[in-house]
Amino acid sequence: MEEFAIRTKGLTRTFGQVRALDTLTLDVPSGSVFGFLGPNGAGKTTAIRLLLGLIEPTSGSASVLGFDTRTQGNEIRSRAGALLEHSGLYERLSAEDNLRFYGRVARMPRLRLEERIRELLTHLDLWERRKEAAVKWSRGMKQKLAIARSLLHNPALVFLDEPTAGLDPVAAATLRDDLAGLASRQGATIFLTTHNLAEAEKLCHMVAVVREGKLLAVGSPAELRSRGGGQRAEISGRGFSDAVLATVRQHASVSQASLENGRLTLVLKEGAGVAPLVDLIVREGGQVEEVRSGQGSLEDVFLALMEADPK
Amino acid sequence: MTSTDFSAVFWKEWKEIVLERSAGGAGSYRPLILVALLGILLPLRMGPARFFTPSQLLIYSFFSAVVVTAVIADSFAGERERHTLETLLATRLSDRAILFGKIAASLAYGWLVAMLCVLCGTITVNVANWDGHLLLYRDWASWLVLLLGPPLVGGVVATAGVLISLHAATVRHAQQTLMVGFTILFLGVIFGGNMLPDAWKLWFGGILVAWSPAALVLAGAGVVLMIDIALLLAGMARFQRARLVLD
Repeated sequence: MEEFAIRTKGLTRTFGQVRALDTLTLDVPSGSVFGFLGPNGAGKTTAIRLLLGLIEPTSGSASVLGFDTRTQGNEIRSRAGALLEHSGLYERLSAEDNLRFYGRVARMPRLRLEERIRELLTHLDLWERRKEAAVKWSRGMKQKLAIARSLLHNPALVFLDEPTAGLDPVAAATLRDDLAGLASRQGATIFLTTHNLAEAEKLCHMVAVVREGKLLAVGSPAELRSRGGGQRAEISGRGFSDAVLATVRQHASVSQASLENGRLTLVLKEGAGVAPLVDLIVREGGQVEEVRSGQGSLEDVFLALMEADPK
Repeated sequence: MTSTDFSAVFWKEWKEIVLERSAGGAGSYRPLILVALLGILLPLRMGPARFFTPSQLLIYSFFSAVVVTAVIADSFAGERERHTLETLLATRLSDRAILFGKIAASLAYGWLVAMLCVLCGTITVNVANWDGHLLLYRDWASWLVLLLGPPLVGGVVATAGVLISLHAATVRHAQQTLMVGFTILFLGVIFGGNMLPDAWKLWFGGILVAWSPAALVLAGAGVVLMIDIALLLAGMARFQRARLVLD
């Protein structure tokens, strides 16, 4: 097995004057769950299309599972599963016929295909309704079926574009467990895009943050949290005036401070403690009722990156 | 392209075609109405003398083409409209397997409906004119038209339809373009034929008189086959995954 399931070097794609992807250089380790995060229009869909060999890069190169995306797209597509922007289901067909079609396309042996359809649909609680046309199903059920389709032939690499969109919390949690299991037990690589940063934090071994086609940061969620978000503190209480906020902002251990609805939110510099700040606030006339401190979340890092690199 | 890939696409297309026409909507009754008109009423009016002639059988070849028009417009434009095209293109299927599978399924459907009409027509004419003997097509030309007409004439529509459907934004747009195109072609053949120089008309008339009906059918089939192949090659050249994904 290749060390990296995906390697890109200066991968760029332009559409007219727009750079949808801008010199993306990225290594995705095999067997990992990799989150590709960014706001709408960041270039996530373009990246997946390029990696599947559906479109050609303007410049740069990419190899997926050891195959060149420019010349060996078919090799990549035969080994990868994909849930793209839309579920891509044939809604006139029944659930099992949707899977049967894609199983035949993947050249799965007939008996194995039927077994796998049963296994997936049972696991996703869809088996009893397998003969119904997908058009009658809810969005969440369709999403589950589309996920089943992308995993049907046990691909070595799965591209998932917003996989938990439309799923209820229980189904989303189950899917997260499935994807984590797929990576750990079968060594499959999962490349997913999501807007749900809490989900990315729970599921992904590595994440990359992109904006307007440019890679802003890449690393494990823990690395990004320590790199970008730093230690955070939320202090609730009374008497937090603008003067208190100004004093806190000037403190050497504070890199950011904001006041909203009587609550101070602070981003602290590395190694800084909260106690001296509580003391400072009290001395300035504030009454502290509750203090919460901890590492910033991936969402904090994401927002900080977006703010640090505005349009 | 392997037969496995081709048959997978054909199977999916066929299921979609049949399911759409048996879903219970207004479109479900259209094939039945057509079979009633062309398989029962028209043969009744024609009677055995006209029904069992190769020239009248051409009607069923054109009818097959009309059926194909309705189906083929959906081939790529429909997939684009329903957001299934990109997922299909993201598989290991070759361009040719997708293209040929879609064309073959629409042709098969058009041919099947045309044959159903001919079968109904044969039964209708026999029942209405029963004299103890089975009435059937008894000349080579008729059988050749039956065999070659629907797939070849339907083939022109299917290959041209794919060309249009490849880059049409919606199914309706593809259907309208296809219908307008064929109306212009049909009128062009009629009026263009009348405007030919007299010498050409005489030459063509001479061929009609001199050649046997079977030879005429084979020659016509050869010309249509050439058009089919040219349109198919054009479709293959225009089938570009990247363009289809981005359209």
